[in-house]
Amino acid sequence: MTPTDRLYDTLKSAGLDFYVSVPCKLLGDLIDRLAEDKSIVYTPVSREEEGLGLACGAHLAGRRPAIVMQNSGFGNSVNAVLSLLNYYKVPVVFVVSHRGSPGEPIEAQRMMGGAIADLLRVTEVACVEVPGQSELEHVLPAIALARREGRSIALLLPFSYWAAQ
Amino acid sequence: MRRYEAIREVMKVVTDQPLVCNIGHPSQELFQLADRPQNFYMLGSMGLASSIAHGLALSQPRKVVVIDGDAAVTMNLGGFATIGHTRPRNLVQIVIDNSANGSTGFQPSFTADRLRINAVGRAAGIDHVEVVTDVAAIAPTVSAALASEEGPHLIVIRTETGMPEGVKVIPLGPIEIKERFMRSIGQ
Repeated sequence: MTPTDRLYDTLKSAGLDFYVSVPCKLLGDLIDRLAEDKSIVYTPVSREEEGLGLACGAHLAGRRPAIVMQNSGFGNSVNAVLSLLNYYKVPVVFVVSHRGSPGEPIEAQRMMGGAIADLLRVTEVACVEVPGQSELEHVLPAIALARREGRSIALLLPFSYWAAQ
Repeated sequence: MRRYEAIREVMKVVTDQPLVCNIGHPSQELFQLADRPQNFYMLGSMGLASSIAHGLALSQPRKVVVIDGDAAVTMNLGGFATIGHTRPRNLVQIVIDNSANGSTGFQPSFTADRLRINAVGRAAGIDHVEVVTDVAAIAPTVSAALASEEGPHLIVIRTETGMPEGVKVIPLGPIEIKERFMRSIGQ
């Protein structure tokens, strides 16, 4: 199975049924799969903060929302994470390509790439690093725990995850 | 007409629909005029009222109403692009345009100059756009949008700047607001 297939299956197994996305090359195949999936709600959004608004609305209606994005987009999300998701206890799953991780060809991505772990920590978003497919086994229990706590969680997928077939 | 009167008119025709309200004075006025469990009051994340309502509209079949403001929605003009893309038939987006950032001290907003929210909505692909300037036209316009089989609807209500004396901070916390809202829509 490709990295995208395994990730897609894991997200579906977690019961996530509402997805918004902001584009990333690494996540392109996943986004295509989501766009074709008639059993979920999916839409692209203009930027990450807007997407968290939609995710909150989905949660209020009883759905289980996720946002698919680059880690750089977390910088666009911080106010919404704190004053919307955390304040109202809205659990969102962030599916995040970790740009700036080893293998990154674009120098500018290293700036947010180096800050993402600290940003998640200070905003109290749980984090599961997924450097390869074998680490996906930790994802389902982590999502279940975060949901029980009313807490959001980020799956950080570095270049190494996407390199291994 | 001020925003307070506009919200009062809107709430004459809103019945059991879920409603998301912009942060600050609009939520405070709505609470005083017509508090109900189906009101989701925003306490933070300025700009995201229409996006929260958009997520609700995509997730369930009921009509969803949002009371947004011109300065707040200007923070999230990209949200129009997404609404124009998904075109949820059950979304009624009301933007009360008082040409000011009221909650922060009534600084003029961009609609005091040349920005026209209705034109942005139309350019984003929202077909049903109304501009209301007469207080008597608010209830019939909102009522027609709620009864409409088509959508999304964008209703821009132009008002004067300012608010009445004595409007208080909402005495509800975020979890209380969320839980009673979710219960009210069967979650």
